[in-house]
Amino acid sequence: MLQVSNLVKRFGGIVAVNDVSVKIDRGEVVGLIGPNGSGKTTLINLISGFYKPDSGRIVFEGIDITKKDPDERVKLGIARTFQVPRLISNMTALQNLTYAVVGSRRFKEKKMTLSEAAMEALYYLDIVGLLRKRDLLCMDLPLYELRLLELARALATSPKLIMVDEVMAGLNPVEADNVVKLVQRLREEFKLTIIWVEHVLRIIMRSVERVLVMNEGKLIADGTPREVSRDATVIKAYVGEEVAV
Amino acid sequence: MVIKVEPRRGRIIIHLFDKWRLEWTVEPRYWRNPLIAAILWICLPSLIPFMPRGLPVGPTTILSSLFMANVVAISAIAHSLQTIGTGRVNFGPHFFVVVGGYVAALLNKNYGLSPALTFLAAFALTALVGLALSPLTIISRGIYFTLITMILPLILYELVFWRVDIFGAETGIPGISRLVYTGDIMNDYVMCLYLSLAITLVLLFIVDRILRSRWGFMFGVINEDEDVASSFGIETKKLKVTVFTLTCGVMGISGWLIAHYYGSFAGTVWLEPWLLIFILLSGVLGGKAAIYGSVLGSYFVVLTRDLLRPFVGEVALLALYVVLLAALYLLPEGLWGIYRKTRYREYMPTIRVRRRA
Repeated sequence: MLQVSNLVKRFGGIVAVNDVSVKIDRGEVVGLIGPNGSGKTTLINLISGFYKPDSGRIVFEGIDITKKDPDERVKLGIARTFQVPRLISNMTALQNLTYAVVGSRRFKEKKMTLSEAAMEALYYLDIVGLLRKRDLLCMDLPLYELRLLELARALATSPKLIMVDEVMAGLNPVEADNVVKLVQRLREEFKLTIIWVEHVLRIIMRSVERVLVMNEGKLIADGTPREVSRDATVIKAYVGEEVAV
Repeated sequence: MVIKVEPRRGRIIIHLFDKWRLEWTVEPRYWRNPLIAAILWICLPSLIPFMPRGLPVGPTTILSSLFMANVVAISAIAHSLQTIGTGRVNFGPHFFVVVGGYVAALLNKNYGLSPALTFLAAFALTALVGLALSPLTIISRGIYFTLITMILPLILYELVFWRVDIFGAETGIPGISRLVYTGDIMNDYVMCLYLSLAITLVLLFIVDRILRSRWGFMFGVINEDEDVASSFGIETKKLKVTVFTLTCGVMGISGWLIAHYYGSFAGTVWLEPWLLIFILLSGVLGGKAAIYGSVLGSYFVVLTRDLLRPFVGEVALLALYVVLLAALYLLPEGLWGIYRKTRYREYMPTIRVRRRA
């Protein structure tokens, strides 16, 4: 489904993503982990089109999307959430989701009206359990609900691949568990492929089938959670080398 | 009976020719205020020629001021839409006004094109200049976009002096066909005013429709956060280029009106910062990107300047700026904010593009 080949992204002298190649199959749930500054979010930004790579190639469902804009990638079926929820804070939850439906390829294909788009937005709000919050402004929603709303927004663009960027950050354990269950339910209901960037290893290790580990812009491990958790390079990247005191 | 009035509880029903039915709710908050405003707006200018003589301000001054207010309003509406649709503040709207003015003046003077044809040409060629400059909305944002657009009028200013043979520098281009010529000056003033009013009303209607449509919906997101708009799947580049191009064309119409109203066009006068300030202030004072507010703001700015002149003389412009500063300080949500506060809250599909203070 997604083929990333030899991707490089530099910011001045810093190589944020260094020759990364990844292949992701349809229906997979792939965890992307790594220490702070390892290049996870940069990789997500490259795949979603917010950054353009210095070199390398990204192919999605046989189409070369390396030079395509973010909105074109959304229309092809690539959606994402942001580390810090980015929604239109001055607008209601319903309006935010309506925008996403308006931006989706379905809106054009089905020649939907704004009212129809709003009706469809209500459906996605219901799925994530925010229907009764539809008329609240985003600035009045707590972080947990903003995260759910971002997931709903990603869904509203009718994606095939969703990239979830640190969806657990700032949530308490109960909220985090709810989000995990929701993501798993969405995957089954919508037949989604998911790339899940996360810091909370405990959750990601039990929720994904495959884990990619990045460190200093490079992909250092790729395997099942069990394999990765025993990988010496990964342990070194997270814990560091033993130092004689 | 041709007209039958049927009073009911809380409303009045008017039957016309037993065919049409007009229902009027008595309670003021349900009044169709825009309709009332439009009717007053259309009717009042026709009464100005009959105002008593001997007042400090004569009817021709008022008619001329109202015409100018409409000219500023056209640019201010276009500028507001541009600000919403591109998420950027253009500091060179007067550049496009002058381009439109020169297009109209040159084509009329040199090729004998009628005002109707120069209208189309002014819109089309200014839009073309806008299209050529539209990549600016993609490659620059924030203060960089503002600075670049601020330089455009300065470039044109130099160009006007460099090619005196074409643009006539400070003298300008004289001998342009008048918009209306009936022989009666008062009639000419009133007709010109109505023409500018008609253009403003049509523009207001079109922009209102756009902002309430899905396009306006998308502009609202671009205005708030372009990256979020992209992640919604909204084609930000295409929309920004389109809205920039078309609104530049509309600003050119202001220039067309000026050129044909005065019968001569000197770009140097209109390239000075006061026109920029008038257009920007009309938007801000009217109510931050509210298009109806832009009209209110334009009328407030232009009429305050012209009506202050008989009382304070040479310092009219200075007095205007003092009044405007006070208004900006006292009305943080602008003139339109006063009206909005009295209205019930509107839900979908009205979009809120006003930023938080």
